[in-house]
Amino acid sequence: MDPETAFATAEEDRILRTWTPLILRIILLFSSIVMALGIAQSLAFAPGFFVRRFHAIQSSGQLHARDTVAQLLDEMRHGDPHGTMTIGLYLLTLVPLVRVAFTFGLFLQERDFVYVTATAYVLGALVVGVMLGRIG
Amino acid sequence: MLIILAGLFALSIGAGFVGALSGLGGGVFIVPGLVILAHIPMHIAVGASLISVVATSAGASVAFVRDGWTNLRVAIILECATVTGAVVGAYMAGLISPPILELLFALMMLQSAWFAMKSQGEFLLPQSDVLCTRLRLGGQTPDDDGTMRSYGVVNLPGGAALMVIAGMISGLLGIGAGAVKVTAMDYLMKLPLKVSSATSNFMIGVTAGAGALVFLSRGDVAATVAAPVALGVTAGALIGGRVLPCVNVGALRRLFVIILVLIAIEMGWRAFSRI
Repeated sequence: MDPETAFATAEEDRILRTWTPLILRIILLFSSIVMALGIAQSLAFAPGFFVRRFHAIQSSGQLHARDTVAQLLDEMRHGDPHGTMTIGLYLLTLVPLVRVAFTFGLFLQERDFVYVTATAYVLGALVVGVMLGRIG
Repeated sequence: MLIILAGLFALSIGAGFVGALSGLGGGVFIVPGLVILAHIPMHIAVGASLISVVATSAGASVAFVRDGWTNLRVAIILECATVTGAVVGAYMAGLISPPILELLFALMMLQSAWFAMKSQGEFLLPQSDVLCTRLRLGGQTPDDDGTMRSYGVVNLPGGAALMVIAGMISGLLGIGAGAVKVTAMDYLMKLPLKVSSATSNFMIGVTAGAGALVFLSRGDVAATVAAPVALGVTAGALIGGRVLPCVNVGALRRLFVIILVLIAIEMGWRAFSRI
């Protein structure tokens, strides 16, 4: 490896090692707070709802009707624990998305196109995953 | 409601704790825990577990990345393979009957038991092969006395092929499949074991995240189960990580192997009785 490439690689690694743990920690903490808030809402305002949902899942595997993110945000605003907990779960799945998006941006800035392609592929696959889930 | 919540928290904190001590992650314990003890259907247990695996991976990766154990370039390249497998696996999970999933899970637990039993040596390859050199996959790892030692990486295609399978297992069964990932990097790509473990842990977040996104957008995640489980497993993994330096890991691993084999037999029996 020539000295220029070695320097650029070391610099990329330094940025990744500084920012990646920060991204992981902040989103994990934020999503945990939202999920804990949803559980607290259940305990305080709708314990019956929680128990009914849990027994329905146990007995028949019956799930809550699928909501859009906009509906979930609306439910959350109105203090519905299901909306708050599900938004917390969505936030948690942002951990890998944001981390990969950050590396994509970094490699793009550094014009490291092999890794731009790799991270773009991973981001694309995550989007395909969401679309496949929507199809069913 | 308090009893259900306490039960879910106890189960998931225990799974996260044992997963951290055994090095196998929480998923391999949380799915059978939810299915056998909490009587949750398999596909819902898988969805909840995938979400919790994202959380534990994020929590555990912070220190490994910061301290230089994780090989970020290897992770980024191999994530292309695992994420492909995970999306396919999670999609297939909605089509495969629960007894077949339980049988696959039992087989995977036996593989994890074998992985936990095998001896662990440290070997540093002096040089990377041509492809890995071009991709700058080699790295440096701290020695016992703190000096940095370089290592090479080989056989990227072989490692990537096994990573597709690891991703499929993760998406299908709701586990991180760390045992398969570490085996691919350690045996096939000749990465040092500690680097393989740290890199696997980092990659597991994206693999499980891809599967979790399929489950979430399909509406197959029960928030009433997944939210307490994610919080509990994360707390358990954090406690396990703190306790780890103070316990005899060798003796614990043997105990976990016995537990894994017993759970595999129970899951296998449940599956066979319903096929």
